[in-house]
Amino acid sequence: MKRFVIPGALGVLVLAYPLLTADSPVYQRLGALVLLAAIGASAWNIVGGYAGQVSVGHAVFFGFGAYSSVVVYTHLGWPPIAGAPIGMVLSVAVAAVIGVPTLRLSGHYFSMATIAVAELVRVLSSTSEFLGGAQGLGGPAMPRTVFDLSFISAAPFYYIFLGVLAFLLWLTWRMENGRIGFYLRAIKDSERAARSLGVSAGRYKLYAYMMSGAFTALAGSLYLCMFGFVDPESGFGILISVKMVVMAALGGAGQLFGPLVGALILVPLEELSNSYLGGRGAGLTFVVYGAIIVIIARFLPSGLLSLFERRPARQPKSDVARGHAD
Amino acid sequence: MLIDAKNVTKAFGAFKAVDDASVSVEEGDILGLIGPNGAGKSTFFNCLTGDLPVTSGTVIFNGADVTRLPPEARAALGLARTFQVPLTFESMSVLDNATIGALLRHHNAREARAKARDVLQRVGLGHLVDAPAKSLGTPGRKRLEIARALASEPKALLLDEAMAGLTPTEVHEAIELVRRIHGGGITVVIVEHIMEVIVSLARRVMVFHQGREIARGTPREVTSNQAVIEAYLGRRRVQHGAHL
Repeated sequence: MKRFVIPGALGVLVLAYPLLTADSPVYQRLGALVLLAAIGASAWNIVGGYAGQVSVGHAVFFGFGAYSSVVVYTHLGWPPIAGAPIGMVLSVAVAAVIGVPTLRLSGHYFSMATIAVAELVRVLSSTSEFLGGAQGLGGPAMPRTVFDLSFISAAPFYYIFLGVLAFLLWLTWRMENGRIGFYLRAIKDSERAARSLGVSAGRYKLYAYMMSGAFTALAGSLYLCMFGFVDPESGFGILISVKMVVMAALGGAGQLFGPLVGALILVPLEELSNSYLGGRGAGLTFVVYGAIIVIIARFLPSGLLSLFERRPARQPKSDVARGHAD
Repeated sequence: MLIDAKNVTKAFGAFKAVDDASVSVEEGDILGLIGPNGAGKSTFFNCLTGDLPVTSGTVIFNGADVTRLPPEARAALGLARTFQVPLTFESMSVLDNATIGALLRHHNAREARAKARDVLQRVGLGHLVDAPAKSLGTPGRKRLEIARALASEPKALLLDEAMAGLTPTEVHEAIELVRRIHGGGITVVIVEHIMEVIVSLARRVMVFHQGREIARGTPREVTSNQAVIEAYLGRRRVQHGAHL
């Protein structure tokens, strides 16, 4: 019974949060932003955390989602959310195109390739008239129907994001405990050993990358719905990619709730620095992220959640490492 | 014939690590590959498992031409292996390590776990199922690699220096384990440079030296072969009457 008390209380708190902050739009909005960031970082976690393939170019998918949503509005007059499935399908296709040649590359090379592709797409998008060029594109200024998802309060967004995040985490949890989850962890530990046991490493990494890309695109579409505007920097900018990596790493990459914990810390921090420093602090965000990366790498390579892990019992001394005798 | 490698050559640039080696292993056999360090036996072994693509030659496994297949496809056909320097999955428990192997034939995680538990019991790691793999020492890791490979229910098990780094007592235990595995109907290919292991386990031995096969036969025949003695001990020591 006791072990349900804390999760239960947390669950009630999460559900009631918009009501508790009903008279404070700033906090309501903050809650929605945390959830949105957690969706992006959790999506990244599938390929970056579980499969250990550190993509630093997930802005590609985020931007595809955001632009798909705004494009179906601008060019077809559809509600932006209708662009979400299009963005997701496009992202799966893009993940396949990027992933097939680059996932064979090991470690840093994959990361570098993802950065290169994201930057390329960012530059291309700023010269594309179809995508609004460097100015970007805006969604509906006034809601036409409820499907435009244009609300004065952030509370509806909060619940939409919460639903999407819950679904994504449930899916990740299912994956984690199934065959693919075992295989991804095995690939992360030793790809060579995994392959010797019949694991098609390339295929599983690609699946993870595609699934990750699809949900990152969904985060992009949701972002567009809430903010109603996207330009090359806010859609494909490298900071989008870096944020996902840092959030997941801060909380604990490869752990179900790691990215959520990271978002819970970083998003309020970022909002605070923005409101106190305003325009003067524009470059400061990069400094803060850089500092966090250094601190995690030095002191907490497995993220904050690792602090709460129970230490495994010590093994009997009989089997301690013996030197190589050949 | 379960494994049939014909005229396998593996070149790194101009250097032929394996030069025109052929071997056939019948089902139920135990074959030993021996030779001094750098003789090419491990390279040949990796050509059989698919970790290294061959430069020329063919590898047939269980009637299928696997020369161009990647290691995972060969594993699916029933070719399991261990590594010279153990590559256990360090972030996982002993049980999860074996479960990865078992998932090849049992797609359901619960069934795979049960199978893994069973195999760990059989190789003598039953008391360590919940231990983190990284807490094991070299003998434990080597044993875990064998368990993991067995959990994939192979037809053939290829052991790459499974005894290196073990104390004599541990070597003895490991030999017993390999005997039991072989008794369970699994074909074994073993790369080793501890003579005692080969002599007590293998029915047939193939000796490598400088990328070439220099002798083959029963362990007794091979150990009395002049070329083998020279390869292992060098010419001068032999003249002074050293014996293997």
